[in-house]
Amino acid sequence: MRKRVFKIFAFLYIPVFILSLYLLLSQKEEKTRLLSEYQKKDTSIKRKYLEDQFYSFVNNTQYWSTLNYPINFAPLNEHSSFMSPYLEIIRGITDYDQFRFLDLEGNEFFRAERTRVNSVELRPLQNKIEHNYVKNGLALKPGQIYLSQISLNRENGKIEKPHKPVIRAVSPIYDRTGKKMGIVVINFKMKRILDYLKLRASDNNIFLIDNNQNIITSSKYQEDLPYEFATKNTSLKDIYTSTDNGIQLDTTYFKNNHIWTIQHINLRKTDSSSSTLSDDSLEVVTPTNWILAQEVSPSMLRASLLPIYEGLGLFNFFAIVLLASLAYALQKNRLQKELFYKELEEKNKLLTKNRDQLLENNLFITNMNHRLEIRNEQLSEFNYLVSHNLRAPVTSMAAVMEMINKEKEPKNLTMLLPKLGQVTKSIMNLTEDISEYVTILDNREIKISDVNIIDLIEEVKKDFTETLLDNDSFEVIIKSDAWQQVLFSKFYLRSVLHNLMSNAIKYRQKNVYSYILFETGYEDNKKVLSVSDNGIGLDLKKHGDNLFKLYKRFHRNISGKGMGLFLVKSQLEALDAKITINSKENVGTTFKIIF
Amino acid sequence: MDKKTNILLVDDDELYLYLMERTIKEMTHNIEINSFTDGEQAVEFVSICTKEKKDLPKVIFLDINMPFLDGWGFLAEFRKLKSKIRQQINIYIVSSSVRESDIKKAAEYEELTDYLIKPIDRKKLAGIFTRAYNGE
Repeated sequence: MRKRVFKIFAFLYIPVFILSLYLLLSQKEEKTRLLSEYQKKDTSIKRKYLEDQFYSFVNNTQYWSTLNYPINFAPLNEHSSFMSPYLEIIRGITDYDQFRFLDLEGNEFFRAERTRVNSVELRPLQNKIEHNYVKNGLALKPGQIYLSQISLNRENGKIEKPHKPVIRAVSPIYDRTGKKMGIVVINFKMKRILDYLKLRASDNNIFLIDNNQNIITSSKYQEDLPYEFATKNTSLKDIYTSTDNGIQLDTTYFKNNHIWTIQHINLRKTDSSSSTLSDDSLEVVTPTNWILAQEVSPSMLRASLLPIYEGLGLFNFFAIVLLASLAYALQKNRLQKELFYKELEEKNKLLTKNRDQLLENNLFITNMNHRLEIRNEQLSEFNYLVSHNLRAPVTSMAAVMEMINKEKEPKNLTMLLPKLGQVTKSIMNLTEDISEYVTILDNREIKISDVNIIDLIEEVKKDFTETLLDNDSFEVIIKSDAWQQVLFSKFYLRSVLHNLMSNAIKYRQKNVYSYILFETGYEDNKKVLSVSDNGIGLDLKKHGDNLFKLYKRFHRNISGKGMGLFLVKSQLEALDAKITINSKENVGTTFKIIF
Repeated sequence: MDKKTNILLVDDDELYLYLMERTIKEMTHNIEINSFTDGEQAVEFVSICTKEKKDLPKVIFLDINMPFLDGWGFLAEFRKLKSKIRQQINIYIVSSSVRESDIKKAAEYEELTDYLIKPIDRKKLAGIFTRAYNGE
C-alpha cells in the first residue's frame, strides 16, 4: 500500500517538481538579469555624475588658465586689487578647498585655504616642487589639464583629520604677453561626491577604484581611501580574489553568485554632444584611470531570491501535501475497486458453481426420471403379469368349483378334480416366476462391481455341455478389443449372458457349424456388447413387439418357458442398460447390450 | 338346424378350453367346437378351411396372450385371408386382461365384434350364439 501510494505520488509529483525547478531557474535568471540591469543603470548614472563632476572641475580650472594675468603677477602685493574680485569667486565656489598659484620653480606665490564654508583665508606659501602634481602640472602643454589622484589631504606630511579626500586639478597660467608663468592648483573637495557615489537604493556594494584596484571609496567602508592609512582591505583584490579579469573593460557579468558591473570613467570623450561641459580643445591628463564597480553580493542575491525560494517552497509543500493525499485517495479507490472486482469474481464463481450444481442436479433428476419411467414400466408390467396371468387360473378355478358343485354324477367329478390340481400347479409356477421377477425389480441389494467380460463369458460357457464337447460344433468367440471391463452387477450380467448363450444353443441351425460371438465396442461414448449367432433367427415383423415379454415363445418344437428374454430385459433395465435385437430367419440373431 | 355350425376357440389356457367346451356342450349339441392353443395353429386352420372351401366358424373366441402367435398376430394374418372369406365371422377377444391399452387396441380392429373379459357365463354365451345364428 505505502509503496504503491509512493509510486503514484512520485509519478504525479516529479513533473511538478521539474516544473518548479524550471520556474526557479528561469525566475532566478530573470531576477539576476533585472538586478544586473538595475545595477548597470545605477552604475551608469553614477559614472555620468562623476564624469560631470570631473568635467566641471576641469572646466573650472581651465577658467583660471584663460585669464590674462599681469606681467610678473604678484597677487599678494602689487596685484592684490586685481586678485580681490577673483578671491570672491574662489570663496563662492564651495568645492574649492585650496587655491594656489605656483611659479615655474614650484614655489607658491598665492595660497588660499577654505577654513569654513563661507570663508577663505590666505596662508603661508610653501614650495611644492617635490609633489607629483606639481611636476606633472609644470609639464603640461597648452590645452592640457591635469587631474591628480584622489587622495586624503595632508598637512606637513600628515593626513589631516578628519579625513578630507581631495582631487587636485592643475592648469598652466600665462601672463598678458602669453608667456607661461606657472600653474594654478585647485584642491577640490571630494567628500560630497564620494558620499553621493556611496548612496545606494539597494544593498549593492559600490566601489570607486583606480588602475591598481586601490579603493578610493566604497559603500562597504566608512572611510575613504583606506589604502592611505590602513594595511588591510585597501584594494579590491584584497576583498575579492576573483575580480581580476574583466576589470579592463566596461562589463556586467554574473559569476560565482556575484553580479559585477564594471564601468571606466572616461575623460577623453570624442563625442562632444554628450556633455555640454566638455570642451574638445581640452585634454585631460591623469596619472590613473578611475573605475566604478558595483557588486550584488551572494547574500544580497540570496536575499532577493528568497521570496522566489519561499514561494516555490510553499508551492511544493502544498503540491506534496495535495498530491500525496491525491495519491492516497487514488490508491484507496483502486484498492476498493480491486476488492469490488474480486468480490464480483467470487460471486461469479459462486454463480457458476451454483449453475454447475444445478446442471448436475438437473442431470441427476433427468436420470432419476428416466429410471423412474423404466421402473414405472416395470411396475406396470408386474401389475399386468399379476392381474392377467393370475386372473386366468383363478377364474378357471372358480369355474371348475362351480361345476363340481353342480355335478351330481360322481363319474364326472373324478374328471373335474384333476383340473383343480392343474390350476394349482400353474398358480404355483406363476408365483415362482413372479417372485423371480420381483427380486429383479427390488434392486436395492444389487452389488455393482468392475466385471471382466472375458472371465464372465468363460465362466458362463461352462454352464453348457455343448460348448465343452469337441464333437459338438458350437463355438464361443470373444472379440474384446474395445474394452474388457464394465461396471455392472456380476450376478445379473451372468444371468443375461447365460440366457443369451442358452438361446443361441437352443435355436441353432441343425447340421451347421454354429457359434455365438461376443464383441465389445462403443456407441455414442457408451460401452456396447453385441451378441451374435448364426441360429434360426425369427421374423421380427411378426414377433417384434412380444420378444421380451413374459411367456412368449416363438418356436413350437423347442422347449421353453417363455421367460428368458423377459428376465434379460428386466435385469438390464434394472441397472439402466438397454437391449435391442436384430434378427433374420435362417440367418441369425444379434442382440446389442448398451451399458 | 340341418347342419352343425362350428365355432373356434383360441387360447393357450388348456383348462379354459376344457371349461368352455364343456359349458357349450351342456348348452347345445349342435355346435362343433375347434380349439387351438395358439394363434399360429388357428391361422393354419382358417387358411385350410378357406382353401378347401369348408365352412368357416361363425364365432371365434380369441385370446390375446399366446405363444408363437398372439391374438394380434392372428388378426393380422386373418386380414390377409379376409378377401377370400364371404361368410360373416364374429370374432370376440376373450382375455383376462383388463388393461386399458389392450381394450383400446381392440377397438381399432373393425373385424372384432366385441371385447370380452373372462370369465364368460352362460347367459353371455347364449346371447352371442343367438346373435350369431339369428342374424343369418
